[in-house]
Amino acid sequence: MTQVRLTLKQPPTLRVDMRGVTPTALAGLEPAQIERITVTHGMQTLALAELFDVSRSTSAAGGDAELLLEGDLSRLDRIGWQLDSGRIVVVGSVGDYAGACMSAGEVSVQGDAGMLAACEMAGGTLSIDGNVGDHAASSLPGSMDGMRGGTLVVRGRAGHRFADRMRRGSAVVFGDVGDFLASRLVAGTIAIGGRAGAHVGYGMRRGSVVFAGAASNSASNSAPAIAPTFVPALADAPVAWQLIARDLARHGGPFAGLPARRIVRHLGDLAADGRGELILAA
Amino acid sequence: MSEPRIINGVVVDDTFAEAFPMKATRLVITAHNLTWARHAAASATGFATSVIACGCEAGIERELGPEETPDGRPGLAILIFSMSGKELAKQVERRVGQCVLTCPTTAVFAGIAEGEAIALGKNLRFFGDGWQISKVIAGVRYWRIPVMDGEFVAQETTAVTKAVGGGNLLMLASSIETALNAAEAAVQAMKRLPNVAMPFPGGVVRSGSKVGSKYASLGASTNDAFCPGLHGLAAKSDITPDVHAVLEIVIDGLTDTDVGAAMLAGMHACIAIGAAGGLLRLSAGNYGGKLGPFHFHLHKLLGEEGSTR
Repeated sequence: MTQVRLTLKQPPTLRVDMRGVTPTALAGLEPAQIERITVTHGMQTLALAELFDVSRSTSAAGGDAELLLEGDLSRLDRIGWQLDSGRIVVVGSVGDYAGACMSAGEVSVQGDAGMLAACEMAGGTLSIDGNVGDHAASSLPGSMDGMRGGTLVVRGRAGHRFADRMRRGSAVVFGDVGDFLASRLVAGTIAIGGRAGAHVGYGMRRGSVVFAGAASNSASNSAPAIAPTFVPALADAPVAWQLIARDLARHGGPFAGLPARRIVRHLGDLAADGRGELILAA
Repeated sequence: MSEPRIINGVVVDDTFAEAFPMKATRLVITAHNLTWARHAAASATGFATSVIACGCEAGIERELGPEETPDGRPGLAILIFSMSGKELAKQVERRVGQCVLTCPTTAVFAGIAEGEAIALGKNLRFFGDGWQISKVIAGVRYWRIPVMDGEFVAQETTAVTKAVGGGNLLMLASSIETALNAAEAAVQAMKRLPNVAMPFPGGVVRSGSKVGSKYASLGASTNDAFCPGLHGLAAKSDITPDVHAVLEIVIDGLTDTDVGAAMLAGMHACIAIGAAGGLLRLSAGNYGGKLGPFHFHLHKLLGEEGSTR
């Protein structure tokens, strides 16, 4: 396995676009070659050497190529952009578009992420230990479809418009989310461990939104306000619930005990297709 | 044929069962409780004794505990065998559509992951008339079809695997009671093994057949050489005057090893009954090696067991 380590010398003054800096692209290059790769910094281009200390190591152990990024990268955007293989580990926070449009591989952020994380993600896994900004798992500005595959795990909080227009895949947030959660949701599975803001499922067509912290007898009851365009489900869905809950339980945290919990479902949004479901775990 | 072996008074012919390649799949049917899972499984594997006229051969493989099923409910594993992947796909769709979708509280999942995919819930979803919902969980697509007791959940596809059909064991006994005893014991022993199904009623068939007939339109007809009622009448008989009833067990399995293991378990159960229990002889059906590539020699299956006398 080849590991390339990029250690940020100091936070840049302007935004840096990191597209193209992927583990697979760097794996076959010597450190001197990596240092000459250019990225945009504001309106200019910069060599990676001006931003990072570069080192490279190889080990006999197998596995995909790995890119390790260290430092406060909150002004560095598009980390993991269109990633299709390999693993990126970020020790620190990242900027906007983290893991956007990735189709395979793994991105692990040990900090916060900015806006539009995992937008139009199609496969692979993006995990963020901290918080994410607005429009995570949603669509690129002007695009019709949001996240369409893979798994997004946010262990902190998420901003507004989480999973807007999402159509496939799983997106879980351990903490609270902002307004318009799952708005215009086409399909897919979303699970929230904390509280949700206003207008949950606004215009959602299909898909499942699970609220793991919605126990009515719990002091931390975080059941969302259900819009009048949703109807209570009369029928149980024990099989689908077990399939969903068992898959979510592997993420641990507030989702660990889901398969054993009873649920209440609300169906909607009747203003759209109406085949979505809000699942409140009791 | 060389010398037969005699074990516990039972003559084991030096012959072989001849089996042929098939295509198979396993389905996992779950329900609110085992009773309803069994209703669905029995119905789905009904009228599936022989590919000659049923389109497939099928049987219940075993019961599954809640910890073994994808949805944590009790269920059953069934095996369906057919002569081609295309025919198997047709049978799976018809049987699941008519027997599992219709049965209260059931859900159906693929029981085999590797192999060419055939439709399971993929086309049945249209029963939902537009209200059906797809759900992809951990890379597997399921269909949720609204029905009057809630919803029917079916995995989109199941996998087809190569299989072996037509393994068999003939039990020649002094009476129908002793023949039934031996057959029941053998089926019970075989059912403890995985990956096999005995598709005939109770696992046992009395109408063993030979290839061909005096009637040109028939491809198969009664196995007159093993009919006690034709002893002394038919030109060729493979039974002795002390045999009054012959029963056969047909075994389909996912591999030749599975079929061989089931035949061996069946033989052991029969030998345990022995001549004292009225079982006189064990044999097997073959067509001179022309029907299929899988030959299960009874003596080879038994290994060194027994002696030639």
